[in-house]
Amino acid sequence: MFEQVLGFLQAMADQTGVAHFWWGNVVMIAIGCAMILLAIVKKYEPLLLVGIGFACVISNVPGSDLILPGGLFNYAYHGIELLVIPPLIFFGVGAMTDFGPMIAHPKLVILGALAHLGIFISLIGAKMLGFSINEAGAIGIIGGADGPMAVFVCVKLAPHLLPQVAVAAYSYMALMPLIQPPVIKLLTSREERLIRMKQMRPVSRLEKIAFPIVIGIVVNLFFPPVAPLITMLMLGNLFKECLVTERLYKTAANDLMNVIIIILTVGIGSTMNAEKFLTVKTIEIIVLGLIAFLGGTASGVIGAKIMNLFLKEGNKINPCLGSAGIASVPIAARVAHIVAAKEDRENLLIYHAMGPNLAGVFGTAISGGIMLALLGVK
Amino acid sequence: MIVPDSVYGAVILSIIDFTLSVVMITGIGFVLALFPLLNRLGKLDDEKIKKGSH
Repeated sequence: MFEQVLGFLQAMADQTGVAHFWWGNVVMIAIGCAMILLAIVKKYEPLLLVGIGFACVISNVPGSDLILPGGLFNYAYHGIELLVIPPLIFFGVGAMTDFGPMIAHPKLVILGALAHLGIFISLIGAKMLGFSINEAGAIGIIGGADGPMAVFVCVKLAPHLLPQVAVAAYSYMALMPLIQPPVIKLLTSREERLIRMKQMRPVSRLEKIAFPIVIGIVVNLFFPPVAPLITMLMLGNLFKECLVTERLYKTAANDLMNVIIIILTVGIGSTMNAEKFLTVKTIEIIVLGLIAFLGGTASGVIGAKIMNLFLKEGNKINPCLGSAGIASVPIAARVAHIVAAKEDRENLLIYHAMGPNLAGVFGTAISGGIMLALLGVK
Repeated sequence: MIVPDSVYGAVILSIIDFTLSVVMITGIGFVLALFPLLNRLGKLDDEKIKKGSH
């Protein structure tokens, strides 16, 4: 009788998550809670970190149906994996973004490419650590600091690394206010950080309407592998700038974008299960991702300093702007502005930083597109 | 696969990709530098465009 009761209790316990709980789950739950804490206390990208952190916690509670096939978080992840969510994010970002700073200051556009050296540093590093060339490419693209693009390229090159790459990309993007300032300060003098930029020319409505159409044609013509993302970015922006589709652009920029962010964050967080995540490969990818971000920030700042060698006094650019070329709109632009504003509170760099920041989106797309073409992936 | 799966391949890929990225984005910069010429075609009035919306 006693043994029978024990057997029943054992069977019941087996059906709960308690029996499958291990220290790895505790570690990942702590990481998830740390993300939520950073979002609430430090205000580090709360829109991203709260959802990722919570889904990370839940996915490490054994027995959670949400992450199993048929569960809502699982469907959210499929939306990312099937490349439905990344183009929709770009659509919303396009509707939210004013490309005026990029159009007004084309000289700064090159920073969008120079700030991507980190991609290649970590690509070579990953290959040296024994990853395949496709896996190395997927890891390298983390350095583009562009979440949807990192997901897109990763799915094409090494879909099995998607959880690690997505988590690294989005986590580092959220942590950019911590990662970038020390690098910028290390590579610039106070005098350089005090440089004020000239006021930009106003950009006409005609230019703003022509921009998404021209870029849409150029990207589909030259970079078909990554064209879906940039095309959707441009469609969202055209809705915004043409002024006759106000309802659509407001939906894309607000309601749709909010829904997509919820799906994206819980989808990514739900992949952070300890069994899949706590591996040496994950640690290597996380470290390589950090190197990519640091390298990209450094190369952007150095690139801006090199540009200054060729510019006349009075036309020199604030090298903090170089760090904004790493994409991650608008986080990197905000960081560049804050670093400069710490030296001079009246130096409003944010609008200028948006130029290279937006160019960084194109820089990542171009790098990703060329990478896919060179690796023979369509 | 066009690029060999080796460290040498990764270096080659990186050099080609970075160089082409710089060239391409410079090209976009050149196109953007020509954008002010569009204004010679005329001026679009925001209010008039909005009034025409449904």
